[in-house]
Amino acid sequence: MTRYIARRIVYAILVIWAVATLVFFMLRLVPGDPIRAMLADVDPAAAAAIRTKLGLDRPFHIQYLFWFRNIFQGDLGNSIYGSHQPVNRIIVEAIPRTLSLASVAFLISFSLALVTGVVSAVRKYSALDHTLTFAALIGISMPDFWFGILLIILFSVTLGWLPAIGYEPLSEGFWAWLRHLILPALAAGLPFSAVIARITRSAMLEVLQADYIKVARAKGLAERLVIGRHAFQNALIPVVTVMGIALALLISGTVVVENVFAIKGLGRVLIQGILNRDYPVVQGAILVVSVIFVFTNLAVDVLYTVIDPRIRYES
Amino acid sequence: MADQFNLEQFEEARSEFEEAYNFDRDDPLFGLEQSELRGSKMSRRTVLRLLAAAGTLSLTDVLLSACGAAAPAVQEEPAAAEVAPVAAAPTNTPEPEPTATPEPVGGGELTCGWAGTGEIVTLDPAQINQVLQFQITSNVLSGLTHINPDLTAEGDLATDWEVTDDGLEWTFNLRQGVTFHNGDPFTADDVVFTFNRSKDPEQSIHSGVLENVTDVQKVDDFTIKIILAQPQASLLTKTLERSSGRAMTIVNRRALEEMGPEQYGLTPIGTGPFRVTEHQLGQGVTIEKFEDYYDPERPILDKITFIPIPEPEPLAAAIEAGDIQLIGGNPPAAELIDRFVTNPDLVVSEIIGPGFQALFINPWREPFMVTDFNKPVSDLTQENGFKVRLAIAKAIDRDEFIEKALFGRGQPAFGTVNPAMRFFFDTAINEVSEQRFDVEAARQLLAEAGFPDGEGFPTLKLLVTPAGRREGEVLANMLKINLNIDLELDVKDFPVLIEDFDAMNFDLLRLGSGGDYDPDDALVDWMITTSKFNGPARPEADMAFGFFSESEVDDLTDLERVETNLDKRKELVQQANQATSDKVAAVFLFHPTDILVYRTEVNYPEVSRIPGLVDLDRTTITA
Repeated sequence: MTRYIARRIVYAILVIWAVATLVFFMLRLVPGDPIRAMLADVDPAAAAAIRTKLGLDRPFHIQYLFWFRNIFQGDLGNSIYGSHQPVNRIIVEAIPRTLSLASVAFLISFSLALVTGVVSAVRKYSALDHTLTFAALIGISMPDFWFGILLIILFSVTLGWLPAIGYEPLSEGFWAWLRHLILPALAAGLPFSAVIARITRSAMLEVLQADYIKVARAKGLAERLVIGRHAFQNALIPVVTVMGIALALLISGTVVVENVFAIKGLGRVLIQGILNRDYPVVQGAILVVSVIFVFTNLAVDVLYTVIDPRIRYES
Repeated sequence: MADQFNLEQFEEARSEFEEAYNFDRDDPLFGLEQSELRGSKMSRRTVLRLLAAAGTLSLTDVLLSACGAAAPAVQEEPAAAEVAPVAAAPTNTPEPEPTATPEPVGGGELTCGWAGTGEIVTLDPAQINQVLQFQITSNVLSGLTHINPDLTAEGDLATDWEVTDDGLEWTFNLRQGVTFHNGDPFTADDVVFTFNRSKDPEQSIHSGVLENVTDVQKVDDFTIKIILAQPQASLLTKTLERSSGRAMTIVNRRALEEMGPEQYGLTPIGTGPFRVTEHQLGQGVTIEKFEDYYDPERPILDKITFIPIPEPEPLAAAIEAGDIQLIGGNPPAAELIDRFVTNPDLVVSEIIGPGFQALFINPWREPFMVTDFNKPVSDLTQENGFKVRLAIAKAIDRDEFIEKALFGRGQPAFGTVNPAMRFFFDTAINEVSEQRFDVEAARQLLAEAGFPDGEGFPTLKLLVTPAGRREGEVLANMLKINLNIDLELDVKDFPVLIEDFDAMNFDLLRLGSGGDYDPDDALVDWMITTSKFNGPARPEADMAFGFFSESEVDDLTDLERVETNLDKRKELVQQANQATSDKVAAVFLFHPTDILVYRTEVNYPEVSRIPGLVDLDRTTITA
């Protein structure tokens, strides 16, 4: 097991390196010069000075080597824009916002999904199942920005219960933090919860056909235990896979939701960086996102062994 | 137009005009201008006085200018009493008092949404490159001068100034007893330090603005001398004022050294009415009242928060729900404005903005090739390439374009010099420009150029940014209907579009300018052969110039930029502007409207209503 994890970590690092390198060179092949875009009305001397200062006048491969060396010193470089804020700082400030949003969204989506998924499966083809299926269909189909705007109009403008935009750090108090996150988390989480609910339902249905469920029932176990212990735990494997992906997606960028609710998380850092051709910011953000992705996947794989002791990774 | 102002405004303007005239009836006509460049401000009053004395201005002009600029103003009922259209209100008191409420309500907190942006990238004047940034620093930092709603300069950290007869040496007396937010006293050394920093391209992106300034010398602690290479008419309004967030905005040496430029870019230390207390990158900026500000009357608010809001719909929801009380930053999306106007909780204040927007035509490409603009318009119109340019210009109905593409918010443009500059703007240009709308003439020109009813005309590409798509579609549609020619939209991100523009790699391209407070921002930056936007990256072997080059415009601009006689300068500016219009340097489309939206509990006094800026030092809020 330990050897397996160690091997996976080595692979993970290789994958991250490949992604970072690809992004580094692809970015520079995209048309559009960041300095020119920023300095629409500035003289060439200043532009040249910035290029030199940020090392953008060097050949690509030299820039690449410098960037790589700096990563190992824990330095992701400086933004090309404005006062050239360190990318580390930009990302470190964005991560708590993203994690807050992602965790609340994840909590909402996964608790909602498991309950509706299981209920749908147990009461299959009932009116309740059809209603939940229909709701899930809407959840999957509705674009999250549109859903976010509807939430704002209802809960902020009409009812005035929750703030329409913005973010408060946890240090400002739990409620201040949470009330700014409820609407964006709903907007980001519900589409995922719809997907997870559907998968939970079909996984449950499959398991409920299995012989060991019949056995469990035959030996007179309470239905609650049949569903809860025997069926649910065995149905979890596909669900956990999807939840892992959902969590990674939520963390790495709920760009649209962040934009709608004016929360500057990782996703927005990334998109704004791309639009501005702010190379160091994009590289840094991509690096962080790929780390999150790869390691969430790894965590999910390890989690399998906990859920299903039959799964072993020893060769 | 005459039906758009009431008797009260008429009386006001009339008395102002008469007083102006009476006041200086006996003044000699010459020499007046020179003295007007001295002192602590150049008010609209002086401008009027000058014109009245010189006999160049009639009562009708005063009224028309007052009313012309006020025409697009939309005022919600509750605000009408507080915010009169800028041009109609006299701005002749030396130190205007807040007129919003008889007894200003002290204190209070204001939350502002900053539209169309995800982040306030920097507040360091040496790095600022967006209006939405210096809108904030204008509340935090100070310059030697500051513009007023008429776009003329007033003393800020300078109390008054004098200029030598040759126009090369300006002496500024500095305000005494001014303190920085960190307690340091403000002296001449800070001006010199700021100059040296801004002049250095390593430290500032605005070094080019100071090209003409050879030296800034300290005379004593509260007197400085600015030495120019050649006379510069725009010194006060461009070099020193753009400094509300630009080259000569005074920065604090100790703070810069202690914080380093990166942190200073987030929480700069200045001498302005508010100080930055918090800056969460991408999430917002908080500023609080600076107790030691030099004017004890200002500021009135205790605390202001600026939250960047990138998307239009949540921005609207936030102000409707009262989460924010005022919208600044980029202009809010045009489609939202009508909705705001009908909302009784909101005030929509519209004035003409300082900028122009145009359709650029590549003179190095067929079918509108023109490789030499240095001939009279009558000769140019014999050439097929110029005929096509002019046909396109004349086929665009600016009013309809503004209605369809901008929801009616904007004013037709026929040149780069904008009506917010008031004094320099030539209202006649809309009537006399060769570019004015005339479908029949446009079709005729196109036919003469060999494309009767658009037959055989190639499909051309119109380069626009994603935000300009709607405008592009309206233009394409209009040219299809009026000339039967086809434009294909080519949508590119701004960084790509600007590169194509620099390299003259386009057929037609939509671009323009904002924050143009001085005629030089229009003519020098855009219209002369050496303009920084005029094809700086073009293949010079194939193209002698960028999108336009005309010796008369070059000569007139060379003269106006050093002309310190206001009347003479105005004449030169207008002549140059007219030439760019007649020779279709670009197809000028519109001057954007400057829109400020706030909730009715906010009192935004008219004296703060400076186009392009959001000065909150006199703003109050009722709880």
